[in-house]
Amino acid sequence: MLQKKICMLGSFAVGKTSLVRRFVEGFYSDVYQTTVGVKIDKKNIQVNGGEVSLVLWDIYGEDDYQKMRWSYLRGASGYLLVADGTRRATLEKARQLEERARQEAGAIPFVFVINKCDLRQDWEVDDSFEMQMRAQNWSLLRSSAKTGEGVEEAFSLLAQKMLG
Amino acid sequence: MPEVLEKFLAEMGFALLEYTGNRAFLPLAELPPWFRELWGESDSVTIPVALADKSAFLENFLLEAEAFWQEASSAACRSETWLERSSSGRDIPLQARALHLGGKRIIAISSPDPEFREQVRILQTARNALLDHERLSREIQKKEILLHCIVHDLSQPLSVMHVAMDCLSEEPISEHSKQFLTLGKLASNQQETMIRDILHTFAADLQASLDAGIEGTASADLLECARKSMTVLLPTFETKGVRLRLDTGADLARPWPVRAEESRLQRIFSNLLENALRYTPAGASVTVGVEDEGAFLKAYVEDEGPGLPKDLRPEQIFGLFMKGKQSGGKAGLGLYFCRITVERWGGSIGCVTLPARGSRFWFRIPRAAEGARPSTTDVKSTRFTPENRALHTHPLRILFADDQKDIRTLTTYQLKRNGHKVVAVRNGQDALKAFRKKQFDVILLDQEMPGLTGDQVAQAIRKIEAGKKKSHTFLVAATGNTGSEDIDRLKALGFDSVLSKPFRLEDLHAILHATPPGRAASLDHTGATRAGNVDFSILLTRVGGDERLLARMIQTFLHDTPKRLAAIASALRRQDVEDLASLAHALKGSISIFGAEAARLKAQDLQEMARSGNLESAQPLMGSLKEEIANLLANLRGYAQQTPARPTSHRAKRQRPPRKRGEPRR
Repeated sequence: MLQKKICMLGSFAVGKTSLVRRFVEGFYSDVYQTTVGVKIDKKNIQVNGGEVSLVLWDIYGEDDYQKMRWSYLRGASGYLLVADGTRRATLEKARQLEERARQEAGAIPFVFVINKCDLRQDWEVDDSFEMQMRAQNWSLLRSSAKTGEGVEEAFSLLAQKMLG
Repeated sequence: MPEVLEKFLAEMGFALLEYTGNRAFLPLAELPPWFRELWGESDSVTIPVALADKSAFLENFLLEAEAFWQEASSAACRSETWLERSSSGRDIPLQARALHLGGKRIIAISSPDPEFREQVRILQTARNALLDHERLSREIQKKEILLHCIVHDLSQPLSVMHVAMDCLSEEPISEHSKQFLTLGKLASNQQETMIRDILHTFAADLQASLDAGIEGTASADLLECARKSMTVLLPTFETKGVRLRLDTGADLARPWPVRAEESRLQRIFSNLLENALRYTPAGASVTVGVEDEGAFLKAYVEDEGPGLPKDLRPEQIFGLFMKGKQSGGKAGLGLYFCRITVERWGGSIGCVTLPARGSRFWFRIPRAAEGARPSTTDVKSTRFTPENRALHTHPLRILFADDQKDIRTLTTYQLKRNGHKVVAVRNGQDALKAFRKKQFDVILLDQEMPGLTGDQVAQAIRKIEAGKKKSHTFLVAATGNTGSEDIDRLKALGFDSVLSKPFRLEDLHAILHATPPGRAASLDHTGATRAGNVDFSILLTRVGGDERLLARMIQTFLHDTPKRLAAIASALRRQDVEDLASLAHALKGSISIFGAEAARLKAQDLQEMARSGNLESAQPLMGSLKEEIANLLANLRGYAQQTPARPTSHRAKRQRPPRKRGEPRR
């Protein structure tokens, strides 16, 4: 079976682990548990009529305490870039991570996910930001690991992009 | 491998494996339990384990390890912690390290479980704290925005009230009505003070920690600030019949430098003085004094009221929203503002009931080195003083943008009354359009307008000026937010002055009077009073304060002057020097009534030119005379529109002084 490595990139506490857990196990917890180190999960999905095994590298969010180790991107076919819609700073961080990922791994496919869309009342993203990102040909989705909205779509879209 | 070493490795939880190539590893010792839990039993240490196939992380790490073995580097090659899930669903933390041992390529894998859990606990705490901090910052930001919206909404009607009452006070109303008007003004002023207290207090609270460092080097004069606040409040004290005096016990001639910001220090004095006035009966006194305590300088305000409230401890009096039972409707923020501000400067504040009667409110602030940097942060440093007021009583071309119709109407009315030319617009876009079409001396911009805000308009104007090399227009921001940070921000955006909202016309006039002459009177090269620069207050004095009479004179001038100019032009065409001299002389006389010195001088030049019989330069002189006259006419026309003339007989009747007993009837 075709196997594809996907890395989860984004600031801390944006919901990377929750997205993976929702996608792989269909489970969500409201309690924030920080990721230290790397955790790898797998899930098989159907893409264009064929089955693909996605190897999901859930990498800790970069902050002052832990710096991203870019060697994890080695062999990755794509990555899910995650930001928290209720924290504007994480969107800026996502931009920086994308730039760095491009330098490290080249122009591999990615999907930008603005997570926590169940908290729209606290949303700090305006439409102009999304338009700006789309104007740069970014694939952008809103998601909620809590409700499951946009989660399957994000991984499927990335898988499709990876398979060309 | 020696048995003891094997046991040691097992005890330490290490899996020691030799890399045999082709992604396979040969265990060098007995494998620890966690290894078997993850990747199954391996009975013999002689069977290679295809670890890279079992762990995606190790597969990735193997690439780093191979590079390490090839380079034979002395630097360590270690992995970070990663988690592997066992078949029982347990997440096992692991760390790997590549080694060169006895020419063998070794990988040592361990499970640092307790250390890992501790690391997770520490990072979890730190990140939770960061998230809490972010959340709190957002909450504060939201509240600040909400507060500013509330203040803005409360300020708008107050501005209308202030300006409406200012307009009304200049109308001929009875003494009885004037008393009502004074009451209305006092009430609206009180309302304004309360709104400002709310804004300043919350803003000060928010900025407390940020400002500490900035203000550490600023200084102000304690006594000077006390005097300024006393001067401002003196009329209010007089109205209530309370004496306000400065204690002369200290040396009042020397400097009293303290580490404080001047405007806020004045506000502290004002709050303490207002508080004292509130509790002091008519006929009694309020005393302000200063004392030298060495490293600190102290100020106090003593009243002769009933003393401190018995239901509150002295320190409670400075609490948030704390007010006595006879607080006079205040919000309970003034003294709280004093406390947090003084404490931020490293000082202290307190109060005590005096033995005889009344109470003493005091505060002490660290002494500043003499000659320390003055703390003036206010753009209004170019503001009105009696000296520059005298210099700049010229009419200005003013663009006024405010989305509130009442404010526009009333302010425009008042500005025009003062002889200024005003274009009033209702939003930022219209302000920019007007700016592109016409030249203005002053542009007054409300900060919060729909569409383009005052800030955005100011930035656009400065950009246009820079691009087209236009002269600098004097920009005034009308805003409810006048903290030093706000003022610094407005300065950075290109504003020259700030008018705090709700504004009073006297504040606006003060700013306009202080407008630098190079900007306001941009066409004045001669130094003489420009034709447009008529001081109507002087004119009014000349005609005994009779506005109607003045209006009549203006109307006559407006009616006659174009005819005179036409006659002069005709005489010039005919080269009739005698006629020209006579007509220029007559024009000069009528101009001089209005004090338009530049126009008068040009008329005089023309007259002398005609008398000399040499009319070579008469044509250009005539051109500039016409320009001056046009300015003067426009200016007078603006005044005449505001003040329609009445028949002279009525005016004369009203102005005539009462006939004294025995005085013959005139």
